[in-house]
Amino acid sequence: RQQLDDYFSTAENSELFVNSIYSQVNGESWYQIEFFRQICEMSTDDNWAGNTEQPRPDITGIAAYNVFPGSSYINSFWEFTYIGITRANIALERIPEVEMDEDLKSRLLAEARFLRAWYYFDLVRNFGGVPIVTTYTELLEPEIRDVTRSSEDEVYDYVESELELAIPDLPLKSEYAANDLGRATRGAAQTLLAKAYLYREKWPEARDMAAQVIQSGQYQLEPNFADIHSVNNHHGVESIFEVEMITNFQFTDIGGTISTTSGSRTDQGWGWCVPSSDLENAFLEEGDEVRLRSTIIKHGEPVFGDPEVESFDAAPTRNKSGRINRKAYIPIADRESPYMIGQHALPVIRFRLADVILIHAEAAYFSGNEQAALESLRQIRERVSLDTDMSLSGVELRDAIWKERRLELALEQQRLYDLRRQRVNGMPRIASILGPNGSFVEYNTEESTDPFETTNLGEAQNKGALFDPSVHMLWPIPPEEIQLSRGNITQNPGY
Amino acid sequence: QKEVTGTIKDEAGTLLPGVNISEKGTSNGTVSDFDGNFTISVEENAVLVFSYLGFQAQEIEVSGKSVLNVVMANDQEALSEVVVIGYGAIERDKISSSVSTVEGEELTKVTASNPAESLQGKAAGVQVLSGGGNPGASPQILVRGITSNNGTQPLIVLDGVPLAQGTSLNFLNPNDIKNFQILKDASASAIYGSRASNGVVLITTKRGAAGKPTINFDFSQGFQRLEKINVANADEYIQVMNLRRTNDGSAPIYDQADYNTSTDWWDETIENFAPVTNLNLRASGGSENIKYAASVSYFKQESNYSKGFYEKVTARFNTDFQISDKISIKQDINPRVESYGNTPNVLYNVLRIDPLTPVYLPQDERTGNIFSIYEGSNNQVPNPVGSIARLFNETKFFGLMSNTQFNYEIIDGLNFNSQLGLNINHARQDVFNPTFFTTPNEQRQINNVTRRVDENFNYVWNNTINYTQDFGKHYLNVLGGVLFDSQTYNYVSAYREELPSDENPDLRYIDAAAGEGVSVGGNEAVETIFSGIFRGIYTYDDRYFFTGTIRADESSKFAEGNRLGVFPSVSVAWDVDSEEFFNVDFINNLRFKAGYGQIGNQNIDRNGQFFSIGTGNYVFGGSRVVSNYLSQFGNPALQWETVEDKNVGLTMAIFDNALDFSVEYYEKTSQDLLFNVELPNYTGIPGLVAQNVGSFESKGWDIQVGYNKTWGDFDMDLNMNVSTNQSKAVALAPGNEQLFGQNREDLGNRFIKITELGRTVGLFYGFETDGIFQNQTEINAHSSENGQLIQPDAQPGDLKFVDTNNDGVLNDDDLTTIGNPFPDFYGGFTANMSYKDFDFSMQWYGSFGNDVFNYPRTFMNAGTQDVNIAAGTLGRVWTPENPSAEFPRLTLNDRNGNYQRPSSLFIEDASYLRLRNVQFGYNLDIKGFQKFRVYVSGQNLFTITDYSGFDPEVSAGGDIINDFGIDYARYPVSKTYLVGLNLTL
Repeated sequence: RQQLDDYFSTAENSELFVNSIYSQVNGESWYQIEFFRQICEMSTDDNWAGNTEQPRPDITGIAAYNVFPGSSYINSFWEFTYIGITRANIALERIPEVEMDEDLKSRLLAEARFLRAWYYFDLVRNFGGVPIVTTYTELLEPEIRDVTRSSEDEVYDYVESELELAIPDLPLKSEYAANDLGRATRGAAQTLLAKAYLYREKWPEARDMAAQVIQSGQYQLEPNFADIHSVNNHHGVESIFEVEMITNFQFTDIGGTISTTSGSRTDQGWGWCVPSSDLENAFLEEGDEVRLRSTIIKHGEPVFGDPEVESFDAAPTRNKSGRINRKAYIPIADRESPYMIGQHALPVIRFRLADVILIHAEAAYFSGNEQAALESLRQIRERVSLDTDMSLSGVELRDAIWKERRLELALEQQRLYDLRRQRVNGMPRIASILGPNGSFVEYNTEESTDPFETTNLGEAQNKGALFDPSVHMLWPIPPEEIQLSRGNITQNPGY
Repeated sequence: QKEVTGTIKDEAGTLLPGVNISEKGTSNGTVSDFDGNFTISVEENAVLVFSYLGFQAQEIEVSGKSVLNVVMANDQEALSEVVVIGYGAIERDKISSSVSTVEGEELTKVTASNPAESLQGKAAGVQVLSGGGNPGASPQILVRGITSNNGTQPLIVLDGVPLAQGTSLNFLNPNDIKNFQILKDASASAIYGSRASNGVVLITTKRGAAGKPTINFDFSQGFQRLEKINVANADEYIQVMNLRRTNDGSAPIYDQADYNTSTDWWDETIENFAPVTNLNLRASGGSENIKYAASVSYFKQESNYSKGFYEKVTARFNTDFQISDKISIKQDINPRVESYGNTPNVLYNVLRIDPLTPVYLPQDERTGNIFSIYEGSNNQVPNPVGSIARLFNETKFFGLMSNTQFNYEIIDGLNFNSQLGLNINHARQDVFNPTFFTTPNEQRQINNVTRRVDENFNYVWNNTINYTQDFGKHYLNVLGGVLFDSQTYNYVSAYREELPSDENPDLRYIDAAAGEGVSVGGNEAVETIFSGIFRGIYTYDDRYFFTGTIRADESSKFAEGNRLGVFPSVSVAWDVDSEEFFNVDFINNLRFKAGYGQIGNQNIDRNGQFFSIGTGNYVFGGSRVVSNYLSQFGNPALQWETVEDKNVGLTMAIFDNALDFSVEYYEKTSQDLLFNVELPNYTGIPGLVAQNVGSFESKGWDIQVGYNKTWGDFDMDLNMNVSTNQSKAVALAPGNEQLFGQNREDLGNRFIKITELGRTVGLFYGFETDGIFQNQTEINAHSSENGQLIQPDAQPGDLKFVDTNNDGVLNDDDLTTIGNPFPDFYGGFTANMSYKDFDFSMQWYGSFGNDVFNYPRTFMNAGTQDVNIAAGTLGRVWTPENPSAEFPRLTLNDRNGNYQRPSSLFIEDASYLRLRNVQFGYNLDIKGFQKFRVYVSGQNLFTITDYSGFDPEVSAGGDIINDFGIDYARYPVSKTYLVGLNLTL
């Protein structure tokens, strides 16, 4: 085996090492990182935990806010995200010493810096303040055992300053060779920074950073909404940062998993994280047929874009809602054979232009620029043939932007964080949707007549009733980490 | 020349066969026959020397007599036997260190694949932890507690050749073993230096004796049974699952009317009779110049499942050549073939799968291959019958050991010895995983085949010079030597996918596969140790005994600069009974001894010092790219673990040696303890890091009592030993004040084992419970000073957890130690009795005061994740009508975390006393046979215990500190019933 001290000798090795930092963006298998994100999706009004066959308190419990802090998914998300950070720390410490082309060197360092910021951002939005480790050398010192949690602001400040350092050194998407597509771009770093500003309600900064991405000329909206999440559309025009997936039977860690984890149990899927009728109603209320058909597959109906399926079997006795995520679905004709987890060629798009445009809309609105907000909103709605009321303003405009975010980015693992950060009169929106009197809970327990959800009670109708805003704005720190740190890492309140 | 004949008897008048008779000063000699008779031709004025183990040798002048009837006197010391010690042999009474001996004869009473199993309860201070009841399982031997976390197995030395760490004794034929010597303290084991800290087991195989050939044939045949575990049937399962839901206000899940299946998964998977067969044939004999002992044996044991077996054929040829007065050579060859099929590990799933699921799909729903005919369970537990059907994992092993010893007597008392031990083995493992479909979570779409070939070559070259001489009352024995030990490990493995057929066993090979999934592996590792040893033994007047040893080892396992270790020891003994002032008649022997030494442990991952780079994959631009990352975080500062050992003891024999007694006390302290530390995950360090973290101390008492008496035809031999041990952490490096083990996902990703400063190592860790809340008043009363409820989510029937730090909040700060897996004391009792042609023996083993983490209790009265429950659960769980229940209420959501936290609910006292073996034999008097014995025996026939799990003797698995004492319902120790035959010609 090659040893670390001899390893960083060439440009090629430096690049191969940086490649490994990317591996933890989605994890190398379904359970390390990606499934936790799906559980976060389940913990919103857009989805049910779904699978009513497998009694799994470490999944369904979290979705229902009967949170089991020891869930392996929370634990491994924490663990593998930090593995990504340490890889970045090693690269950032060792690559400067390597003799190589200076442009390549600064690009590789900027890639590592972007990814490290990505990981800390993903930690802080889930756990609040976390320990910040920024070098490899400190791992060799005994004091590494005594690190404590930094504050939430310190982590966000670190993410922002790192991204500011990385942005100038990162190439534009168009500057990369075709075989390097998927590496971090300036647009990706700017999008992440815009999002960090948005989460912190730094409205003008968010607006301006989003505008830079939009105006970079590197991206455009996919003309046809259905093409965004297509197995045949890798690094499409709208894609800003994606984890590309390919079918390769020799290696099981570079193909997609979500098509299996959220597929129907009669379609070789596991039936986790299925769309709610509440989400479907949101599309119907808006008359948004274009995005509905590319977001939700419903039991007994044909699948849009898959001529081979005339009546989809979503196994409603085994699936809470009788609905399946269309964005994760691969049409029969496009499937690899055998069709199996870890081999799906459907890319996982982490950032796309529509998200940035909606960040711009929201940030512009909150920085008092309603006209710019409306213009961005219109762009998004125009693609899916929806009219925009250009007279909207005030809270109506705000609500329209928020609703647009829900419909456009449904099932793309954004909803939980949006509901946590978006506030009405200082109260997080999630507290009005979930909780014993939450609108989603009331809809399901009192109003819903959905033929699937109201008959399959394997997952209780009152999902979310246990939500408590004094506890559930953050996830628990994994108990293992509290033990391993001898209590230096403290638990979040209420857990 | 003159012919002398005679008969040899002992003091009781019993004829003594096998007595050595030699003409003094010549190589002329013979052995008495089965009836104690001998004939020898000698010079007229010869002096005959009669010698026999356990008797005083005597010299008789022939002086013209032609008949000599000799009475051999019992050796009052009963200790003049020569025993092996490291790199030499010496009279037992000259040893001043702590050594336990177990005779080979004792080992053959138990029919087991592994001779170590027979050691259980036979020697004080030696704990044998079961490896489970599956065929070929290897128990762990623990000598005097724990001073290390890395490879606590003692060093095994076979006829002077140290074997690789962790070598299973499966390869040995118990009938070949003359005895086991267990070197328990450092003054005995320090001669083995850096590998001795877990104790040393010296195994000596039987050798031939001059005389007419002896032929032995042994046969036993039996079967093994498992005690059935009763779980709920369909009716009870439905009631419990529905109650779990209705208790939480949800709708019931099952309607009894919908189900007419009630599968008994135990009966579907477990076979009642698992046969075990043992055959052994040996011959020994020879002349004064060439002696031989040859054996061949066959052993086969099957599991109680339809898959899983262990089979071996071993042979051994031990030869001794006296080339000249000066030169002798020993040459031993030991080839062996083993074959084993992995035993399914499905008991856990047998307990958990719901009884509503039929074993097979209905005929008309079967579409796939023969591995796809199994029903997927309602509660998502993999169908165990299907798992067994799909298990194809077999290994074929071939091994050859050769042991050559050359001895040259330079001058009288000065010997040069050179020993070359070779150990070559080859193992081939074949694994096949067929395509099947049961459910989306339980399926394989592409079949695969793996073959792995291991080839190891180890050799040992020992060169020693030994000088032994008596100078009047002074006796001196000095040894010096240079040793070299090399172990080479080598493997290659290949994995391929897409075989053309799942069902044709002839097509399960690498070349038949066609798929893209290919993976190959191969590696070679070499470990060497270069050593120098010195030992001096001095005794004065058989009253004062002194031994000093020193060994220096240079091991390749450590980084340069840390490779050399030096290990000294010293021991003294005083025979009080040999003093002139001592005149207590009934005390035959009284000896005090004391020893001190330092020994080492180098059992760490040989790669522990390295920071290794691993290889993975990612995708850019539509193609796979290689990625590299840090796969192991090393520690170049790793050092030897050193154990400092002190031992004092007393041995005594009284009443004409009928009663013997020994007691010893020891303290062992490890320095620079090696531990694989898991750093906090925020470090992003993958896996564990080997570190020298501190110091463990192990201390305890070993007590042994033997009673041996003959009354006419009745002979009785009783032996009992009791040991205590406590192993504590006495120093831990900063940052490592708490060492954890056994992270359990379903108990909240918490560790359930902890080692803390000043406390016993490897204690159970969790929440303390204080009964069950009976009503809301009790829940309200469990509150902080300012009235805040400590368990706000609790309902009547939930567990009350103790707020151990009294901070008014129940959280991970309240975790505490909740049990100790190590016994207060353990011991064995052996009784051998014979009357005329009848013989009877029994052997008991007990362990007292040890706790077990009964893992099945986390679900077997709860139905967590809807798994099946123990029969009778409804009567054991809390309901308002059953307030004194042991287990909390049934709940689906479990908001109180009754079953989501490690707690004292799962800890039980697992003290037990077990009848390990009972045997009843009868010797038929048949012409032509020296012995024709038939016997019946039973192993593990019954166990006295309060433990509610399946087997209080939980198998060890893994490392002792972090894994021992947790019952994961592995294959339990089974009851064995046997009949057997021993013939001697």
